Amino acid sequence: MPATDFLAVIRVLGEHGVDFIVVGGVAAVLAGAPISTFDLDLVHSRKVENVQRLLEALTSLDAYYRLQPERRLRPAASHLLSADHQLLMTRYGPVDLLGAIGQSQGYEELLEHAIEMEAGAGLPVRVLKLDKLIEVKSATAGEKDLAALPILRKTLEEKGRR
Amino acid sequence: MELNELTRPVAEYSEEGIDLTLIRWMLSLTPAERLQVLQRFVNSVEEIRSLNAGD
Repeated sequence: MPATDFLAVIRVLGEHGVDFIVVGGVAAVLAGAPISTFDLDLVHSRKVENVQRLLEALTSLDAYYRLQPERRLRPAASHLLSADHQLLMTRYGPVDLLGAIGQSQGYEELLEHAIEMEAGAGLPVRVLKLDKLIEVKSATAGEKDLAALPILRKTLEEKGRR
Repeated sequence: MELNELTRPVAEYSEEGIDLTLIRWMLSLTPAERLQVLQRFVNSVEEIRSLNAGD
């Protein structure tokens, strides 16, 4: 099992010029929510040229599907061009590449709801704003999301007081 | 200094039972520091898991 390293994944994607937005638990933590997560959820641009850069980055990350790991199935361009979710394992831990989230919202639609942050990778990273993250999680919440939502809402409230 | 009941800091929870002091602590950090907190947590859990692999 590879050791998780969120920044290393972000760095590799950045080095390959991949356009993506950090969403999910890591986005919530970057916004200040005291929650934990073990995977990095990203919504990537599905433009052909970006998918090509993403594929190169995924090769560098030795990415393969977490389902049936023994088969080491690799994502292809056609997978990354779709709105589906690709649940991958990389040399730096689990990474979920999401073509779209919520009500079919992809990279282009989410861009206006993202902010650039310095997360420590030496380059700015786009992160989904907490209010949008709450909106998306509220609409599509699984049990894990339902547990985290009150913390996210309270974090947003506390941020508003600052 | 010994703390008495009047000076002892009390925990502060929301109505839903959320520890507000944790949220305020995280908000006092930079985004990079927040990610470091998560990374250290994950590293610790992974270390404990590997020490107990097979249990």
